[in-house]
Amino acid sequence: MFEPFVDVVPSFFGWLNQGPLTMTIFLHTIIILPMIWIYKQEKARIEKEDA
Amino acid sequence: MAKRSVWSDNRFWQRSAAWVTGFASILLIWLTFDTIPQITMGTDADLKGGVTKRVPGPTVINYKITYEMDAKRMHEIPVIGDKELFFGRDDWSEEEAGALLHLGKLGSQAKNCMDCHTLLGNGAYYAPDLTKAWLDPAWGPEGSMQAMTGKSTKEEAMAEFLQHPSTYPTHARMMPDLGITAEEAKGLVAFLKHMSSIDTNGFPRNFGRMQGAVNGK
Repeated sequence: MFEPFVDVVPSFFGWLNQGPLTMTIFLHTIIILPMIWIYKQEKARIEKEDA
Repeated sequence: MAKRSVWSDNRFWQRSAAWVTGFASILLIWLTFDTIPQITMGTDADLKGGVTKRVPGPTVINYKITYEMDAKRMHEIPVIGDKELFFGRDDWSEEEAGALLHLGKLGSQAKNCMDCHTLLGNGAYYAPDLTKAWLDPAWGPEGSMQAMTGKSTKEEAMAEFLQHPSTYPTHARMMPDLGITAEEAKGLVAFLKHMSSIDTNGFPRNFGRMQGAVNGK
């Protein structure tokens, strides 16, 4: 699962991109998770307004 | 009244779009700054101290460059080796080498090499990719170009070819005579040698195995 870091110049994104799909999974996680949070907040607001 | 859905609610999409756009903007700015150390040119001290840089300093023209398979990265990488004469010298100073590379870069722009060739991924594929041209075995001691141009070193053969390309039938699409002077040719060869030493993550792919290829097949 963890590969040795072989980039010429180390960087955060290089570190993040060492395995297959790691960058993709990371970016999707931090983009999608807050949307779930926004969804729940909006759902609560709508329910409150409709009540 | 029918129950309202979050999916058809404007505020949900507005807030989501604001989050994605805002996060992507920050990410792109971060990536821009993250790229700077990757593309910053090294120095003579780095080369002497064995510090590996993606883009080595201009004095790399004093060293032998080979293209070797890296087992971990699973592609070829340029390896800077021992000292090697370049136009009879292996003591080009940082200023001299930098000036030569600069002349070569300006020459490549003035003669519009990218009209036909590709340099570091930019340009055309009408003529051969020049990113790793210095490492092309055709220019080496076993290759045909030194015999054809009557020169005994790679750099002299390249410089001779660049000055009189239409004299040497190398390719089905022959290179036209661009009026390149001897000094410009020297700069262009230095520019090509330096370019071949840049770690391009194995681009162009399979270059090391192109030996003996005919008409790109």
